[in-house]
Amino acid sequence: MDYFAGIDVGSLSTDVVILNGGGEVCGYSIIETGANSTEASEDALENALAQAGIGRGDLVKIVATGYGRVSVPLADRKFTEISCHALGAYYLFPYTGTVIDIGGQDSKVIRVGEGGKVVDFTMNDKCAAGTGRFLEVMAAKLRVPLDEMGDLSLHAKGEVQISSVCTVFAESEVVSLVARNHPREEILRGLHRAIVSRVWSMVKSIGVNGEVTMTGGVAKNSGVVVLMEERLGKTIHIHSEPQIIGALGAALLARRAFG
Amino acid sequence: MTRKEYIIKQKKMGRHIFGVFPAQYPREILWAMNVAPVEIWDPPLEITGANAHLQPYICSVVKLGLELILQGKCDDLDGFLFPHTCDSIQNLASIVNDYLGMEKPCYFFYHPKAPFRDSSRIFYMEHLKGLAALLKQQLGPLDFSKLNQCVEQGRQVTSLLRELYNMRASGEISASNVQFYRVIRQGEFLLPDDFIPLLEEFLTASKGRSVAGPAVILSGVLPNPPEILTLLDELGVRVADDDFLSCSRRLLVPFSQARDPFEAMAETYFAMPPCTTKGSSIDERLNYLFGKIEGSGARGVIFDMVKFCEPELFDVPQLVKELKERGLATLVIDSELNQGLSGQLNTRVEAFVEMIS
Amino acid sequence: MKDLGAPALMGISKVGKKSRPIKPDPHFGPPLKCTKRLKEIMTRHYMLSRYAEGAKPVAWVTSGAPVEVLRPFGIYTVYPENHGALCGAKKMGPELCAVAEEHGYHQDLCSYARIDLGHYFSGKTPAGKLPKPDLLFASNNICQTVAYWYKALSHYLKIPLILFDTPYNFREITDSDISYMVRQFEEMIPVLEQVSGRQFNYRKLQEYVRIGKDASLTWGEVLATMKSRPAPMTIFDAFGHMVPIVSLRGLPLALEYYRTLLSELRERVSHGVGAIKRERKRLMWDNIAIWYKMRDHSSLFAGQGMNFVTATYTNAWAETTPYMDENRPFESMARAYSLVILNNNLNSRLELMERLIKEYQVDGLVIHSARSCKPYSVGQYDLKRLLMERLEVPSVIIEADITDSRAYSEEQTRTRLEAFFEAMEG
Repeated sequence: MDYFAGIDVGSLSTDVVILNGGGEVCGYSIIETGANSTEASEDALENALAQAGIGRGDLVKIVATGYGRVSVPLADRKFTEISCHALGAYYLFPYTGTVIDIGGQDSKVIRVGEGGKVVDFTMNDKCAAGTGRFLEVMAAKLRVPLDEMGDLSLHAKGEVQISSVCTVFAESEVVSLVARNHPREEILRGLHRAIVSRVWSMVKSIGVNGEVTMTGGVAKNSGVVVLMEERLGKTIHIHSEPQIIGALGAALLARRAFG
Repeated sequence: MTRKEYIIKQKKMGRHIFGVFPAQYPREILWAMNVAPVEIWDPPLEITGANAHLQPYICSVVKLGLELILQGKCDDLDGFLFPHTCDSIQNLASIVNDYLGMEKPCYFFYHPKAPFRDSSRIFYMEHLKGLAALLKQQLGPLDFSKLNQCVEQGRQVTSLLRELYNMRASGEISASNVQFYRVIRQGEFLLPDDFIPLLEEFLTASKGRSVAGPAVILSGVLPNPPEILTLLDELGVRVADDDFLSCSRRLLVPFSQARDPFEAMAETYFAMPPCTTKGSSIDERLNYLFGKIEGSGARGVIFDMVKFCEPELFDVPQLVKELKERGLATLVIDSELNQGLSGQLNTRVEAFVEMIS
Repeated sequence: MKDLGAPALMGISKVGKKSRPIKPDPHFGPPLKCTKRLKEIMTRHYMLSRYAEGAKPVAWVTSGAPVEVLRPFGIYTVYPENHGALCGAKKMGPELCAVAEEHGYHQDLCSYARIDLGHYFSGKTPAGKLPKPDLLFASNNICQTVAYWYKALSHYLKIPLILFDTPYNFREITDSDISYMVRQFEEMIPVLEQVSGRQFNYRKLQEYVRIGKDASLTWGEVLATMKSRPAPMTIFDAFGHMVPIVSLRGLPLALEYYRTLLSELRERVSHGVGAIKRERKRLMWDNIAIWYKMRDHSSLFAGQGMNFVTATYTNAWAETTPYMDENRPFESMARAYSLVILNNNLNSRLELMERLIKEYQVDGLVIHSARSCKPYSVGQYDLKRLLMERLEVPSVIIEADITDSRAYSEEQTRTRLEAFFEAMEG
């Protein structure tokens, strides 16, 4: 049987998805990227191969994506994560018209057309506001574990307004809010609102089309998802492992390239 | 020959060297008065001193221009010319002239803003003559027949550039995107005597088939960062045409039949391609872009912005909207000068190319 | 020299509403009686605007445009910059800016423009309703930004835009510049006749120029009362009381109002009544106000015993008035409108500031570096340095924005201001 691998080398994690010829996922792995992305891609691939119970020789094509896509020597081709997220989301949720991907370093909104093809997209500018990095900085400042901050924010009774756009300014705002004894949950709620507003501008500039799927690590944050759904007025599709959508799309592209 | 060597050579030949800020100015008058205009767009410097004079939200064209002066790299110049391109260049001109205590002559050139009326034409003619009169005090009188010759040379330059642009639009040029702009941008400091043969040579040498990949049009102030051209070359993309302030918007002008050189220059100004710095309407700009798209089969437009550039950024939303409505792909990116192509920008351009492929 | 008037307008929306009485700040002197009259005038003006649409031709006008030329045609004028300031003071800036950003307008662009476009796209406004324009009238004597911005409006609304193009005065103004502007006036007359359906009446124009000039001169006298110690009002008051000179210029109402205000201020001066109780230091403000921080800053400085007695901004509507001449309306307006602070070279700005510092006995200078406004802000760092060198006036720069509070850092500003207060005492 033919197998296809997609490798997504991101700034935080390196993810691999393996598909069989029928297009079914038969193995995946998520590891930290660390300092050497070539090594990370090798390791992640080995893990996924082991999970699928196959060897490297069974792979027909490998596609790399993500920031580290250039440092994956084993890849036959590379594609940007924009094409990969669009295709991955389309594969999982075929009525997806819009993909919102909030990753560690950047966020993207993608308009998906027929067959999972990218019709239009936008990405945040250089600034970190509106990315996972923003939440990471704030989580550290508030001494809240990153994976708990979303749920905590949902327990807020009220909400404080974070007025600055800039991560650095917002950080100093948070410091003074803490100093004035504002409840942590309310500050968190405000922070989540701030990131959603930033991403919302991007959503509007691309336009909401059909169903919405969220990908990327921040999709695991319930606080962001709830506020985004509020803005959209509709529910968002989220896969249980939203980080691997890029790798999945890459594997699908590998399979498509062979077919 | 590098820009610096060229300037030294011109100076030895007795020419006056003027530093000229973006974008549009009556180059023929300068040529005729024995001035070699050297344009200041994106000098390869690190910004240090300019931050003491300009806020963080000022664009890097303006900052780098000032940096060039502050680092003493303009000390051998004989003067500056500041065209009135935007608010930031306007105030920079005044900072240099009024606040830096420099002993160098500074000239200012105001061009009337659209919509153009009779008053605009009268003013422009008077203003051309006014500039010549001011320059006369430093450089001596303007020789009318020399000016006529220079206007003729300007026509030759334009004609060659047009031919090159037409060849490229129809896919009949073998030069890469990088090579193309390297040559075009030599015009930022070469005098026509040297630029004309360079263009002729390039034209002959690069006749051939263009790459077969998808075609795009670039819009913005200037091709920045240069690495974007390299990336497009690597991805097999043909830049089929451009709407750059530094390139087609001021270089591809229709011919004037006027016999009076001032009239010819004025006619040229008013017939230039539409540009936000002249106040052209959105419709004019759209028609210009659509013309370029039709003429070249381009599938999309990349708006390659310099960060904080107000005149460009104000038009983009409307241009993008209308282009999208006609089924064309658009990409808007912005970056500072000399910062290279970040991974993020790289991804955006690649994704755009995947989208139109 | 951009438009404002927000504090006064903030009052308008409170008319009829029972609000909790605000505890008076012990650092301020008695409030100006005229504020009530200002509110009445502006309420009436904004009420009328609701009936203007359809009944009268409406123009949206930039704050520096020679509005006198519209008056004989009975055109009702609306000032989007004034509206922007109002939105800023009401802290609606970020919300409206975000709407424009959703439509692709970059957050680096002028926030007055983003607010206005955000209002265009969403209809949101704290002012009830703005009448839709039939005409746009802009002058680039305050910035090129308004030209880009109004061009966008013209594209969206499909209505004519008249641009009054004022060549920048890099050196002295020339005859050629003046004739260019005079010709533009002549060219716009037929357009205005068409939009308004009225014939141009030269005598009426002369009348409006005369009234406009008198009002501006009176405004100048109002400002000049602050030369007294203690100053009878603060520049924060003036930011509010300048609304009529900006948006009712040329109308008899503005003149009448400033005469009333002037007599109240002179009365205060003769009785030694100050705007703040303990005027220890006198300050100058540079650039447009930080609308969303007006109240905070006003109390903060009053608490320090520091009063702003002059501003390049409020002065802009009085500075070039003497050029106005009803006997040569076009030529004199060309001169008066072209030589405003933001269309004049930085050397003349430096001289102007030196003069104001001396005339108003200024001890220190607060410079607002406004992200939105490049012509006002580019050059401020050098101005600061030169004023220190020449007059040894201490100064501080606040990096902020006129209405987009997202570009403002409370902590950073506080630190800078505290350092400035320390320097002033030292």
